[in-house]
Amino acid sequence: MKIRNLVFLLIILLAVFTMLLAVAELPPYGSPDNPVHNMVTDRYINKALEETGVNNMVTAVVLDYRAYDTLFETIVLFTAAVAVYVTLKKAKGSESGE
Amino acid sequence: MRILLEKLLINYPFFFAIILFVMGAFTVLTRSNLFKKLIGINIMEGGIFLFFVAAGNIKGGAVPILVENNPGMTYINPLTSALMLTGIVVSVSVTAFALALIIRLYKIYGTVDARRIAEMRKEVKERWQE
Repeated sequence: MKIRNLVFLLIILLAVFTMLLAVAELPPYGSPDNPVHNMVTDRYINKALEETGVNNMVTAVVLDYRAYDTLFETIVLFTAAVAVYVTLKKAKGSESGE
Repeated sequence: MRILLEKLLINYPFFFAIILFVMGAFTVLTRSNLFKKLIGINIMEGGIFLFFVAAGNIKGGAVPILVENNPGMTYINPLTSALMLTGIVVSVSVTAFALALIIRLYKIYGTVDARRIAEMRKEVKERWQE
């Protein structure tokens, strides 16, 4: 079992090295000129109060600009709740059935 | 190599995100206890969240809540934080479902050890073939 863990450690270290090479190519952290801060973000920051009437921009994005995303997110949550219910209920039923 | 290290020093939050992700992956791969595997998955998710939130940050920027007094303020990116809100919901759903599955496995096999469950399944299969 120790050898298996060592093999996994080697694979993981290889993955770390690959990802570090990728991180070194990323734009510098915390700079305002990064490509993340594009016109979409500008619009969210400058027009959020005007278009949605909310002070908190994250709330404006979640509940107004990307409301469909949030709607289907609740469906994901609902599906997970139903799946948990079904899984646990079947376990109980098979126990009483045997 | 030196340039790589210098760039890593500038991008240190991404470096820590990778460390978190890899710690989680290593936990998932090496532990046989299913609960520990699940904790590893959650640590990996923490790494991804850290990566995204760090990508949207600006040094010296303000929290993206509008303040009336100073309009010339630089706010950090609200989009990555909003996306990670979605990610947290998915992570909670996955964790809940995985926990339910582990409870069911425990009720059937009497253990939460993935290796022992595999052995028991193998034994059952061999008995069937006889």
